[in-house]
Amino acid sequence: MKESRLMLIQYATAVLAVALVSIHLIMQGVIYPYATAISFSNILSIYQNGFYAVFLEALLVIVLVHGFNGVRIILHEWRQTAPWSRWVDVGTVLAIVVSVGYGTRTVILALFGGVTA
Amino acid sequence: MADNTPKGAERAKNKRGIWGWINPYHYNLERWAYAFQRITGVAVLAYVLGHLGDTSFFVGGPTGSGPSPSSWDFIGTIFENSFGHLILVLVVLVLVFHGVNGIRLILAEFGFILKKPSKIEYPYKAKGLGSGQKYLIWIGIAAGVAAAVWAFLVLFEGMG
Amino acid sequence: MTDVRLLVQRFDPLTDEKPRFAEYSVPKREGMTVLDALLYARDYLDHSIALRFSCRQASCGSCGMKINGRLRLACYTQVEELGGEKVVAQPMDNFEIIKDLVTDLGSFFAKHKQLMPYVLRSDSQEMDHPSAEFLMKPEELEKVLQFTYCIKCGLCTSSCPTVGTDALFPGPQALAQAYRYLSDERDEGGKRRIDALDTAHGVWRCHYAGSCSAVCPKGVDPALGIQLLKRHVMSGKARSEGAEVWKQQAAAAPPLK
Repeated sequence: MKESRLMLIQYATAVLAVALVSIHLIMQGVIYPYATAISFSNILSIYQNGFYAVFLEALLVIVLVHGFNGVRIILHEWRQTAPWSRWVDVGTVLAIVVSVGYGTRTVILALFGGVTA
Repeated sequence: MADNTPKGAERAKNKRGIWGWINPYHYNLERWAYAFQRITGVAVLAYVLGHLGDTSFFVGGPTGSGPSPSSWDFIGTIFENSFGHLILVLVVLVLVFHGVNGIRLILAEFGFILKKPSKIEYPYKAKGLGSGQKYLIWIGIAAGVAAAVWAFLVLFEGMG
Repeated sequence: MTDVRLLVQRFDPLTDEKPRFAEYSVPKREGMTVLDALLYARDYLDHSIALRFSCRQASCGSCGMKINGRLRLACYTQVEELGGEKVVAQPMDNFEIIKDLVTDLGSFFAKHKQLMPYVLRSDSQEMDHPSAEFLMKPEELEKVLQFTYCIKCGLCTSSCPTVGTDALFPGPQALAQAYRYLSDERDEGGKRRIDALDTAHGVWRCHYAGSCSAVCPKGVDPALGIQLLKRHVMSGKARSEGAEVWKQQAAAAPPLK
């Protein structure tokens, strides 16, 4: 991919992240008292509302793509050998896939899993 | 075979390296913002990864299979204390700065808040480092501090 | 009159393992520049100090160095503006040290050339053997004029944090010149220029730390040019209408003798 496309992704995810993270902070720190916001029942109701589950998934993807793409930029600027550059690109994709995968698992289990002890 | 490498070859390279990224001393305000943007970016990513881990305990952790109150209580006992809350306050501080400064960078990097090139007169004043975007740096710092104070009040309310 | 303490970083990579400072006491006089002080030390106190200079009036860009921690031209910095008591002269950061205050600017000039700092024409015959001058309207000239004041002293590139680690990054000087030609209405090389800039180590490795513009002694303001360059590269739009403008002007211009 051209570097300008990768940077466009970086800028676009930045703008979206500002919006989504703001909503996330307001939900966790402004709307309810903190103790209520992090209570099991409140979080369960958030996840099981389909709209918020989609919101959290979007937040997850956007923040991680922005974060790891940022690290990719830093690592490219740090060293420039051919193997390093290749592994940085491969590693960025892997890191995004693994971390988004793990976070998505939480969202899916919270959304569809039965409550355990 | 004799080693013909000059004695000072390594030092002669004279590269500032990563130290040049994180040490803006002697430079302009924008250079400080650059250093903090980089440091706070890495810090926030580290937090987000940790947050992925702790939120997964809502569904019982890495091996869990569904929402689990006991597992969530367990993670609460680890992070819901003064130290954990202090970390959260710091995260809010750097996160808000990173966000506002990031918006400034997008506006500047596409020239929206920079003046156009034109005839210049001595003493030269760089239009690329204009006052509009400088205000945004200070707004970023102020917003970060304000949000951190808010977070402190929210998190430490009733903790005594 | 009192003396100024002049500390010069001395380092010969062939014989020394690491740099050290040599101290000289230089009699101060009114209007004395750091270059004057260095030349006094070299002429009367220690002939072995290596430094590069030529015009003594901020036109040639030879005497760029780090003075009291800041990147400046030695000929353009008065001892008095530094407090008048202590002057610390070191070579510019991020360029290889040849000896003492002299750094190797070879890669710096190579990167400048790599980004084609000249008007590109799609008609190579016309480019190499122009039938008329490449004329330019005064208001178009004003848009690029400040970038043409670059004296290639290397201070901006030395100040850039990315240059400190990324050996493939062209640096602010070369990028500002790339903008200067990309936005020149006579230029037809937009596509080639954008392709050269839109790489993993091209224009996007600038993050607007702005040190380049802060240290530039000539008001070139590379940071401004580079940010405007990003917009061009992101849109991918190469300037093509310039060619038409130029053709009309060329038709009206007197032929070259």
